[in-house]
Amino acid sequence: MNESLASVLTALGDDELVLGHRHSEWTGYAPHLEEDVAFASIAQDEIGHATAYYTLLAKESGGNPDVIALGRDKSEYRHAVICERPNREWAYTLARHWLYDMADDIRLEALEACSHEDLASLARKIRREERYHLIHADTWTARVARGPVEGRRKLMDAVGEALPDALGIFEPVELEETAVKEGLWPTPSDELRRRFLDRAGAKLDELGLPTEIHAHVVQDAEFVASSSGDLIEDRQSETPGGSASNDHGGRRGRHTPDFDRLWEDMTGQYRAHPGATW
Amino acid sequence: MDVYEVFRRHGHKEPFEHCGAVIAPDAEMALLLAKECFLRRREASHLWVTRRADIHSFQDESLLEIAADKSYRFAEAYRDVVTKRERARARAKELAS
Repeated sequence: MNESLASVLTALGDDELVLGHRHSEWTGYAPHLEEDVAFASIAQDEIGHATAYYTLLAKESGGNPDVIALGRDKSEYRHAVICERPNREWAYTLARHWLYDMADDIRLEALEACSHEDLASLARKIRREERYHLIHADTWTARVARGPVEGRRKLMDAVGEALPDALGIFEPVELEETAVKEGLWPTPSDELRRRFLDRAGAKLDELGLPTEIHAHVVQDAEFVASSSGDLIEDRQSETPGGSASNDHGGRRGRHTPDFDRLWEDMTGQYRAHPGATW
Repeated sequence: MDVYEVFRRHGHKEPFEHCGAVIAPDAEMALLLAKECFLRRREASHLWVTRRADIHSFQDESLLEIAADKSYRFAEAYRDVVTKRERARARAKELAS
């Protein structure tokens, strides 16, 4: 099969699967019952999207979606590191949900022009559903940002922590050059990242949140957004879960110990009973 | 004057159902008018009114459409589990004997 197509589908599917798994860990623990149900439903949506990407990949490669999802070694996953980070507290989960779904919307919008007809139509379908996720994330974020000072502070810190990892969503996928040339990945990741920073910066300004996007986490600092127009230099803040996140690596299969634990949990059942189905 | 939406229900086990609207100056009057308009023939034993302005809906209702495959949210998707369970029980019995 076309290897650059496989690379694109694997990156997309793995992002959704791994983040969906993290989201699902809130089941029973979310801040209140209604949100528990809503967030579990969003988690299911993300895993449903992963299923759709893997099913397309399996159709193209003759594989099996379950084996792709759960039967691979840790090193074969190509999701961005942000997806594997532990949930920590609600503020971090919310910040990640907000940044991820914004990033996802930007790349799905670009993928609607994909030269592979099935993938283009899948992107359109998924984007319709992600629209609701975006509204959910925006509504929560706006409410917390305007709310009492404690929540606002937590959200601000969480966005600051999640943002460096969020840029890893736009680390080029493997064989990206070929994928771009073939129209499978119509917009290069660098351009997508620029759009993402523009949009995230504008939204943070709108919410009146200081956008301290640290210079040391982005190589091309000229894209850095800031509400004051200034770059805030190297505050050396620690990123969660250790490991320098400014060189990313998720798209090349380089993950953090956070993923080791998640992978054990996520695939344990399937590895104990290979080929098991519902 | 405001528009009040009217809901009524027959008994405690039934859900409230929307049955129409009345125009009234306040909730008290809306209840009286609704009783006369919508409960004249023992249609129900409970009555609610609420100002239309207090009812919220999505501006874009296409958000309510389900875009992707949600078969896993329906019981039919798990029908096969019953067959599998029976097979597993039969196998367990076989192994025990």
